[in-house]
Amino acid sequence: MLLPEFEFHEPTTMPEACEIMGRLREKARPLAGGTDLIVNMKKKLVRPEHVVSLAKIGDLQGIVRENGFLKIGACVTAAEIAGSDAVEKTFRALAEGARVLGSPLIRNLASIAGNVVSARPAADLPPALMVYGARAILVKTSGERSVDLNDFFKGPGKTVMEPDEILTRIIIEIPQGCYGDSYIKLGVRQTLEISLVNVAAFISLDNPDGPMNKARIVLGSVGPTPIRALSAEEVLRGQSPTDGLFARAGEAAAGDARPIDDFRGSAEYRRDMVAVLTRRALNAALDRARSR
Amino acid sequence: MKRMIRLTINDKDIEIAVKPNQTLADVIREEIGLTGTKKGCEVGECGTCTVILDGKPVNSCLVLAVQADGKNILTIEGLETAQGLHPIQEAFVEKGAVQCGFCTSGMILSAKSLLDRNPDAGEKEIRAAISGNLCRCTGYQKIVEAIASVKDRRPVS
Repeated sequence: MLLPEFEFHEPTTMPEACEIMGRLREKARPLAGGTDLIVNMKKKLVRPEHVVSLAKIGDLQGIVRENGFLKIGACVTAAEIAGSDAVEKTFRALAEGARVLGSPLIRNLASIAGNVVSARPAADLPPALMVYGARAILVKTSGERSVDLNDFFKGPGKTVMEPDEILTRIIIEIPQGCYGDSYIKLGVRQTLEISLVNVAAFISLDNPDGPMNKARIVLGSVGPTPIRALSAEEVLRGQSPTDGLFARAGEAAAGDARPIDDFRGSAEYRRDMVAVLTRRALNAALDRARSR
Repeated sequence: MKRMIRLTINDKDIEIAVKPNQTLADVIREEIGLTGTKKGCEVGECGTCTVILDGKPVNSCLVLAVQADGKNILTIEGLETAQGLHPIQEAFVEKGAVQCGFCTSGMILSAKSLLDRNPDAGEKEIRAAISGNLCRCTGYQKIVEAIASVKDRRPVS
């Protein structure tokens, strides 16, 4: 399987990378891990004339805790996220998402930026990021902006990004107090699986025995983009957590889902599984909130 | 336009001119001539092209050769020493874990990477570590037994 010809660029600074993307726009694609881009180029789904590697830009590496935020560089791999103590301690759902992405070999290459920018409806990291209200930092020569990932996805493979923008990092505010989080991926095998349904849940309690002051649920693989289950969140807000309440939230989430029938599974099955997995993810999040 | 890259493969420094659209798998096989690295699906699903890149196993069919500039790469050919086969290779032979052999290079490199990190890995960890490597002879049981049977699990450089 041959790669089409292209020109390779390897900027070492962001201003240099922005200059290249600003000049070449649609003709160029940034390259981080390559596990989506290279495959899509081999399959001739995309044909960039220029590929701009981000690997040599130091600013795009590393996971840093700073001023109450966790900042994850664009080129940080799924394996690095899965193995990060900072992520494991503060963002369990994200660690769980990173651990089930692709295969061990893919996780050593695949980047957080790529998993977000590719905007696949079944991607593992977007729901696990959206559930914490994570934001993407998009940079171009004329400036930078910060976009809530809840407003980032527009459809399969489509995002709000301009052709000359580069996603440089994901930032997540570290939650305070008594919170719990969880990510569940449903598939028929454990590796290299495109999920049938995935669910990320986040809840925050007033105190270990108290009511929920925050609840967020994000569903993946059951719509053209990952979606917030807003009516499920409505069921939960301000209430005391019980399994019965979580079951009702699961039913509400099933109503929020917009699944399709395809060869992986029927819409009906997916919708039923949204209810089951939402309840499970909430129970797991509650256990973690109470033991925090 | 070709670019010069420098990389270390199996402890040997190599300088070579590559085209941007050549993958690391292609360059290893066709330019450097190390054909122990296989090409199966070419889209990162089968693991037959596994090499260890700066200490981590990756699908070399998804890495551009130009990105390997300055990197350290271990292929299956780098495991054997003057003392003979690597203990994992010995174990594969002992346990009959090689059937058609196409997945074997990748299996052994994924196994090596696991045992270097975790010499006490049990069956669960072994199965997880080779989960990106497909064996279409479906000989997984013998492969898992071979990896579990490796006696001398200290890293051999």
